[in-house]
Amino acid sequence: MLDKNILLVIAMAPLAAAVVAGLFGRKIGRTGAHLVTIAAVALSFVLSARILWAFVQGQAEPFNENLYTWMVAGDLRMHVGFLVDSLTAVMMAVVTFVSLMVHVYTIGYMHDDPGYQRFFSYISLFTFAMLMLVMSNNFLQLFFGWEAVGLVSYLLIGFWFKKESAIFANLKAFLVNRVGDFGFLLGIAAIVMAFGTLDYVEVFQHAESVVGKTISIFPGTQWQLITFICIALFIGAMGKSAQAPLHVWLPDSMEGPTPISALIHAATMVTAGIFMVARMSPLFELSEAALSFVMLTGAFTAFFMGLVGLVQNDIKRVIAYSTLSQLGYMTVALGVSAYNAAIFHLMTHAFFKALLFLGAGSVIIALHHKQDMKAMGGLRKYMPVTFLTMWIGTLALVGFPGFSGFFSKDIIIEATHESHRFGAGLAYAATLLGVLITALYSFRLMYLVFYGPERMDAHARAHVKESPWVVTLPLIMLAIPSVVIGWLAIEPMLFGDFFKGVIVVRPEHDVVAEIGEYQFHSPAQFVLHGFTGWPFWLMLLGLALTSYIYLRRPQVTERLKKTFAPLYRLLRNKYYFDEFYQKVFVRGAVRLGETLWQWLDQKLIDGVLVNGTARLVGRFSAAIRGWQTGYLYHYALTMVLAVVVLVAFYIF
Amino acid sequence: MISDWIPVVLFYAFAGVLLASALAVITVRNSVYAALLLVLAFFSAAALWMLLEAEFLAITLVLVYVGAVMVLFLFVVMMLDVKSREKHALGGYGKVAIAVAVAMLLEMVMLFAGKLAAGLPETSLTRHAADYSNVRALAEELFTRYVFPFELAAVLLLVAIVAAILLTLRRRPDFKHLDPARQIAVKASDRMRVIKMPAEPQSSGDDK
Amino acid sequence: MFGWSDLVTALPEIIVLSMACLVLLVGLVLKPEKDGLLVSLTMLTLVFAALVTLRDHLGAEAFVAREAFNGAFVRDTFGDVLKLFMYMVMAAVVVFAKQYLRNRSLFKGEYFSLALFALVGMMVMVSGNNLVTLYLGLELLALSSYALVAFDRNHLKATEAAVKYFVLGALASGMLLYGLSMVYGAAGSLQLQNIAQAAATQPDARLLILGLVFVLVGVAFKLGAAPFHMWVPDVYTGAPTATTALIASAPKLAAFGLAVRLLGEGLGPLQIHWQSMVAILAVLSIVIGNLFAIQQTNIKRLFAYSTISHIGFMLLGFVGGADGFAAAMFYIITYALMAAGGFGLLIVLSGKGVEVENIEDLKGLNQRNGWLAFLMLLIIASMAGFPPLVGFVSKLWVLKAALDAGYLGLTIIAVIFAVIGAFYYLRVIKVMYFDDAQTDEAIVASVDARFFLNVLAIAQLALVLLTPMLLDVCSSAIAAL
Repeated sequence: MLDKNILLVIAMAPLAAAVVAGLFGRKIGRTGAHLVTIAAVALSFVLSARILWAFVQGQAEPFNENLYTWMVAGDLRMHVGFLVDSLTAVMMAVVTFVSLMVHVYTIGYMHDDPGYQRFFSYISLFTFAMLMLVMSNNFLQLFFGWEAVGLVSYLLIGFWFKKESAIFANLKAFLVNRVGDFGFLLGIAAIVMAFGTLDYVEVFQHAESVVGKTISIFPGTQWQLITFICIALFIGAMGKSAQAPLHVWLPDSMEGPTPISALIHAATMVTAGIFMVARMSPLFELSEAALSFVMLTGAFTAFFMGLVGLVQNDIKRVIAYSTLSQLGYMTVALGVSAYNAAIFHLMTHAFFKALLFLGAGSVIIALHHKQDMKAMGGLRKYMPVTFLTMWIGTLALVGFPGFSGFFSKDIIIEATHESHRFGAGLAYAATLLGVLITALYSFRLMYLVFYGPERMDAHARAHVKESPWVVTLPLIMLAIPSVVIGWLAIEPMLFGDFFKGVIVVRPEHDVVAEIGEYQFHSPAQFVLHGFTGWPFWLMLLGLALTSYIYLRRPQVTERLKKTFAPLYRLLRNKYYFDEFYQKVFVRGAVRLGETLWQWLDQKLIDGVLVNGTARLVGRFSAAIRGWQTGYLYHYALTMVLAVVVLVAFYIF
Repeated sequence: MISDWIPVVLFYAFAGVLLASALAVITVRNSVYAALLLVLAFFSAAALWMLLEAEFLAITLVLVYVGAVMVLFLFVVMMLDVKSREKHALGGYGKVAIAVAVAMLLEMVMLFAGKLAAGLPETSLTRHAADYSNVRALAEELFTRYVFPFELAAVLLLVAIVAAILLTLRRRPDFKHLDPARQIAVKASDRMRVIKMPAEPQSSGDDK
Repeated sequence: MFGWSDLVTALPEIIVLSMACLVLLVGLVLKPEKDGLLVSLTMLTLVFAALVTLRDHLGAEAFVAREAFNGAFVRDTFGDVLKLFMYMVMAAVVVFAKQYLRNRSLFKGEYFSLALFALVGMMVMVSGNNLVTLYLGLELLALSSYALVAFDRNHLKATEAAVKYFVLGALASGMLLYGLSMVYGAAGSLQLQNIAQAAATQPDARLLILGLVFVLVGVAFKLGAAPFHMWVPDVYTGAPTATTALIASAPKLAAFGLAVRLLGEGLGPLQIHWQSMVAILAVLSIVIGNLFAIQQTNIKRLFAYSTISHIGFMLLGFVGGADGFAAAMFYIITYALMAAGGFGLLIVLSGKGVEVENIEDLKGLNQRNGWLAFLMLLIIASMAGFPPLVGFVSKLWVLKAALDAGYLGLTIIAVIFAVIGAFYYLRVIKVMYFDDAQTDEAIVASVDARFFLNVLAIAQLALVLLTPMLLDVCSSAIAAL
C-alpha cells in the first residue's frame, strides 16, 4: 500500500519550492532559488522512482483515495484525490526526472538572465501542476492540472516578455489551446451528464452502460454518446499535444527559453494529451469511430509535420517539428489501441527529445544565443560532449536498432500494420514514410551543425567552447536512458502485466499482444529482427541521402529547391496553416468583432442598452433623487411610507 | 354595579385626554404650549397605570418625565425663546403627514376590523389587597428573573454617559480657570513670598 | 435567581464588558505616549473572549446549548460561530483604526472602549433569548455606534451623519419596540420559544402579524436593507473611515443573528407571512444598491451601496428554509470579512493628512504598491462575485436556496443586477491598474495592519477551498437552533 503522505510530499514539494523561489526570490538570491527548487524536485524524483520500482517489482497496489472533498453540489461530489497505479508511476518518474535534469541545466542556460529566480519558480510550479495532472483520480482535478500546466506554459513562452515574437507566440498558444480546452470541457460535461460523477473509477465501471445511447447535438443528427465523449476529450488532447490542425502554437512556442522547450514542449506537457487518452482507454475502447479519428489525426500529423522539419533552418524549430511528428506517432498508437506502446514511446521520447533540445540549447549557448543552422557547422571538434550526446539522441530519434526510440517506434509501426481499423493502411504508410523523413531532417541537423565548414562569424568562432558541467551533466544523464531504456522496459511494459487492469484493451483490438505472440521473443531478437525490416532500410536511405548531400555536394540543396519550388514553398510556409488561420479566423474574428462592435456594441448596447440604461438610470435616479437628499425628514418619511406599504401588503 | 363602571369610565376619560393632548403636542405652534401639553399627556398615562394598580410606575413616570425631563425641556425652550416661525406646526409637510397617518389608521382598522382579540391569550387583571407592595414585586422580578436585561440596561446608560461626555466635554489646554477650593485654603504666607537676593551692584556708569 | 452557572455561561460577554470598563478607565489615566497599551488590551480581550468561547466546543464532551438567567440568554453554536467571526473582524478593525486615529489626533481610549461596548451589544443580539434582551443588545450596539460616528466631533459631516443615524435609528427602534410589544401582547410571553408556540397555534392572529411587520422594519433598518437603507450611504461617508469599517462589518453579523432569532426562531411559524415581504426587501435592496452604486464617485459611498446590495443577496437566503438560513449565514460571514478588508485597505491608504475618499484617489495603486493593489483586487473581485473567489460561491449558494424555494423571478433579477453591479467594481479595478498614479508617496502600513489585510484578502481565496467546512458549520449551527 502506498503512503498518502509520500504522495502528498511528491506533489507539494515542488509547489512549496516554487512559492519560496517566487515570493522570496530576492531574499534568498540566485543560489538559494536554484538550491531550493532542485532539492524539492530531487526529493520528488527519488520518491517517484521508489514508487515506480515498487510497481516494477509488483509489490505495490494501486492507490486510489480522495484526500479532500471540495464541494458537493447535489449528487455531484468534487474531490481532490490521487490515483496512483503503474501508468501514473511511469509518468511521475519521467516528469520528475526530466524536470530535475532541466532544473540543473537551467543553472547554466539562464546564467545571465535577470529573471533567474522567476524562471526557477515557474518550472517548479510547472512540475507541481504536471504531477497534479497525472496523479489525479477525477476529471475536475485533471482539468485543473490541465489548465495549470497550460498557464505556466504561457507564462514561460512569454518569459522574455520584451520580445515581440514571444508575446505573439504566447497569445497564439493561449488561443489555440482554448479551442482544445473547449472540446475537453464539453467532454467532461458530457461525462458528468452521462455518469453523474467525476471519479475515474466510477466512470470506468459504468462505461459499458452508455454504449448504444445517442445524443442529438444538432437537431436531426444522432451521435453515439460514447463517441461524442471520446472525440470531445480527444479535441482537448489535440490542443495540448499539438495535433494538426491545432498544432500551430508549438513551433512558435520555441520563442521561450530552451529548457522550457525541453521540459514542457517536448517531454511532459505536450504528452499530457497522450497520457489522458491512455488513461481513458476504457472509454475509448468502446468507440471504433473515435479511435479511427484519433489514428488518422496522428498519422496526418506524423507525416506532414515531419516534412516541414526538412526545410527549417532554426535549430529549435527543426526539433519542434520533429516533436510534432513524434507526437503524431504516439497518437497513431493510441488510435490502434496500442495504448501501452504510446506510453512507451512517450517515455523514450521524453528522454531523447529532452536530450536533443538540451543539446541544441548547449549549442545555442556556445554561439551566444544564435539559432540559425546556416551560421553553424563544424562544431564537433569544439564541443565533444554535446556532439556525442546529440548523436545518441539522433540515433534514438531515427530509431536505429538498439536505441530506445527503435523499440518504441518499431512497435508502433508494427501495431499499425496489424490493425484492421478503418484507415489503418493509410496510417501504416504514413508512419513508414515518416521514418524516412525523420532520418532526413535528423541527419540534416547533425550535418549542418557539427560537420562541414564553419559558417559562423569570426567573433563567434573565437568564443565557441564546450558548455559548463551543469549543462553537459544533464545531457549525459539523459543520454543513458536514451540508449538503455528500450532494452529494459519493452518486455514488462508491452508484453508483461505491468499495465494490467490500468490500460484496458478489448481482446479483438489488442494488436500489441498479437505482435508479442508471433514476433517478439526477447529484446535482442527484436533488435536483430529490426535490421531486416522496412523502417531500418528507409532510415539508412535517409542517412545515405543526407550524407551525400551535406557532406559531398552541398550545392545539391539549391538545385533541389529550384526543382521542387512549389513543394518547397508549401513546406516553408508550413502548408499555410498560419496564413489560413490568420486570414480566416483571426481576420474573420476581427471583422466580426468590428461589425459586432459597430452594430451591436455601439448602436445596440452602447446606444440602447448601456447609454439607454444609463439614461434610464439617470432619469430614474433623478426621479428618486428626492429620496437621497440628505434631509432627515425625507428619510424618515420614506421609512414610514414603506411601513404603510408593507402593512397594506397584508391587507390586500 | 356602578363600581365596575367607574374604572371603565375613568379609562376612557384618561385615554381620551392622552390622545387629545398628544395630538395637540405636535399641532400647536407655540413650543411652550407643546411642552406643557406633553406634561398633560404624561399625567394621563400615569393615571392609566394607576388604574392598572401599577402605582410605582405611575409615580416614576410623573417624577422622572414630568418632574425632571419636561422641566428641563421647558427651561431650554424658554431660554432659547423659540419663536414659532412656521404657519403650520408641521411645516410644509402637513398634508403628507396627515395623508400617511390616515392611511395607517385605515389600514389598522381594516386589518383588525373587529378581529383584534381573535386568537389572543385570555388574560385578566389580578386585584391585590391595599397593602400589596408594588415596588417589592417589581424589584423581585427585576433582580431575579430579569436580572440580565436589567444589567444590560445599566450598561446602556453607562454607554450613554460615556458618549455624552465624549461628545460634549471639551478640555482646552489653554483655558485658565480658578480653583475656589485652593483660593479659600490659601494662607497669608502663600500669598507673598519674600525673596532674599544679593544686592545688585550699581551700574550708574562709573565703571572702570 | 441566578447562580454561578449563569455567569459561566455568559463568560465571554462578561469578559468583554469588564474589559470595556477597564479600557475606559485606563484610557483616562494613561500618558499619551503609552497609549499603545489600549490597543493591546483590546486585542487581548478579543483573543481571550475567543478562547473562552471556543473552549466549550473543543472539550471532550459534545457541546450542548444552554440557557442562562432564566432563559434571557442562550449559549448555542449559532451564537458562538457568529461571535468568533465578530472577534476576528473586530480585531482587524481595531488594528486598522489605530493608525487612522493616530494620524488624525483622534486617538482616545473611548474609541476602543465604545468598540468593546458595541461588541457586547452584538454578542447579546446573537445570544438573546427573549425580546427584551435582544432589544437591549440592539440599543447597546446602536448607542455605541452613534457615538463612534460622531467621534471626530469637530468634523461637520461626521456630526451630521451621527445625528441622522441617531434620529432614524431612534425611529426604527421605536417601530421595532412597537412591533415587539404587539408580539408580546399576542403571544403573552417574551421568550422566543413561547412566542414560536403561540405563533404555531395561531398563525393568523392579526396582532401577531402587525407586530411582525414592525419587527421586520426594525431588523431591516439595522441591516440596511432597502427601503430602510437611506442612512447607510450618508453615515458610511460621513463617519471617520475607522468607524465605517467597524459599523460595516461585525454589526452585520449581529443584525443577521437578530434577524434569525426573531424571524427564524421566534416567528418561524409565520414564515409564510414574512418570506414574501423579505423577498421584496431583498429585490429592492439588490436593485437600489446596484443602481445607485453605478453613479458614485466616492468610494465609501460606493461601498455603502454595495453593502445594501449584499444585504439584499443575504436576504435572498431567508426565503429558502433551513438551507437558506445556512446559505445566508455563510454569505454574511464572508461579507463581513470582505467589508473589513475593503475598508481596512481604505484606512491604510489614507495616510497622514491624506483621506482616500474618491475612486480617483486609488489611481495607479498598482504602480505605488503592487501587492496592496492585488489584495484590493481580491477583495473587490470577491465583492463583485467573480469566480474563483468566495464572493462567487456565497452568491451561488443563496441563489440556489432561493431557486429551490421556487423564487425563479427573484433569482433572475438578482443575477441580472449582480452583472450590472460588476460594472462599478470593474471601474475601481480599472482605476487601480490602468490609470497613472498622481502621487508616488509611499504607503505606510504597520506590520499588524498588513497582517490583517493579508489574512482578510487571502481568505477570499482560501475560503473557496474551505467552503464545505464553513457551510457545514453554518448548517449545523442553524440546525441546532
